[in-house]
Amino acid sequence: MSEAVKDRVPRLAPGCRLGSAEGQEDLLLIPEGALRLKGPARAIVELCDGERALPQIVEELTRRYPSDDGTRIETEVIALLGRLRDRGVLEFV
Amino acid sequence: MKYQPQGLIAEVTHRCPLHCVYCSNPLEMQRRSEEISTEDWSSIFRQAGEMGVLQLSLTGGEPLARTDVTELVHAGRSANLYVNLITSGVGLDAARLNALIDAGLDHIQLSFQDAEEGPANEFAGTRAHALKLRVASMIRERRIAFTVNIVVHRRNLARLDEMITFAEQSGAQRLEIANVQYYGWAFRNREALLPTREQLDRSIAIVEAARERVKGRLRIDFVHPDYYAKYPKPCMNGWGHQQMLIDPAGRVLPCHAAPVVPGLEFFRAPGHSLRWIWEDSPAFNRFRDETWMPEPCRSCERRGRDFGGCRCQAFLLTGDAAATDPVCTFAPAHKVVEETLVRINSNGEVPKGQNWVYRIDPH
Repeated sequence: MSEAVKDRVPRLAPGCRLGSAEGQEDLLLIPEGALRLKGPARAIVELCDGERALPQIVEELTRRYPSDDGTRIETEVIALLGRLRDRGVLEFV
Repeated sequence: MKYQPQGLIAEVTHRCPLHCVYCSNPLEMQRRSEEISTEDWSSIFRQAGEMGVLQLSLTGGEPLARTDVTELVHAGRSANLYVNLITSGVGLDAARLNALIDAGLDHIQLSFQDAEEGPANEFAGTRAHALKLRVASMIRERRIAFTVNIVVHRRNLARLDEMITFAEQSGAQRLEIANVQYYGWAFRNREALLPTREQLDRSIAIVEAARERVKGRLRIDFVHPDYYAKYPKPCMNGWGHQQMLIDPAGRVLPCHAAPVVPGLEFFRAPGHSLRWIWEDSPAFNRFRDETWMPEPCRSCERRGRDFGGCRCQAFLLTGDAAATDPVCTFAPAHKVVEETLVRINSNGEVPKGQNWVYRIDPH
């Protein structure tokens, strides 16, 4: 992910939404399919609300998981957002 | 549940203002008077949601031919389903589109027959192309997932490049280029629609190059013509494994073509519970596991990947639904496919003129 993207604000692409019903908690529903969000991925995607930029997302996660290494959180978030963007389910505004 | 259903395809009506020559609807279609009600569909969607189904595809015919599509979308969302609408766009104006989105529609798939108006209208048997362009621009202005679907065949593959450019400009995030699958009306018109090998090879190269070019802007899905494949397609990802289709009269089927298979009884969802039909009805279990398989499927290492191919195609091409799908190069009946391809590929010039029948509109 380029430096430019770091300052931009991620949000789910049209037609992509987190599952809310029982049994759908770890699913990202997308056109004609669903992606399973493992581990902290759901919490990260929830923070991609079209308001927060990457630094705020990392800050929030560091606050929630204080025992984790902040740099590692940032690396993981960048990797996940990059994958989701390449898959077309996340956009940067 | 051993087999977890993922998707429900709801053919809510067979009525359609288009008469596409490649339509995969059955030749015997259901009339408006046989269509089940809004309440029946709502009950089906609730049951599907409870069974863990994730995706609902509202299709037809033209689903917008029903006046209650907005209510059906709402019923689908209320049942925790992801709601796709597969439409020609005919019958969609701004007010109706807004109502559908407000009701929770997640994704619109808009069909086009060609990038050029003349041929597009010819394949659809009606003048719909210009209207579809207006619908595409309405969709583009709204925040909703948008796929352009184009069915390709011998008569339009020459314009594949133009179709991809067209989809890029349409505002869609995804383009589905699907070769005709030969069921229903398409099977009836097969000789006029099957592409040549040269066309197929060219189209694969075009799609691969285009995918590189539009990366990050447009996803391109390409559905191959299985007559040219070495191995059969994993039809529906297995009979009764993940998908169910419900026809306008509420009959629950493993796929849209299943009624061609003789000797199977398909039950209607309003009369029987969806769960019983899915888990226990004989028709859903007929080809579900591997016990029905003949050789060479039974001992084939690919049997868990392609499930012996398509049962309906096996029936259409051999008269036996329990035969190996003849498109498979190992199938005892493969020569019926080979002979067809030889015939198609030795005809030379793409035939001009309308050597096909148009899909009719049931009333």
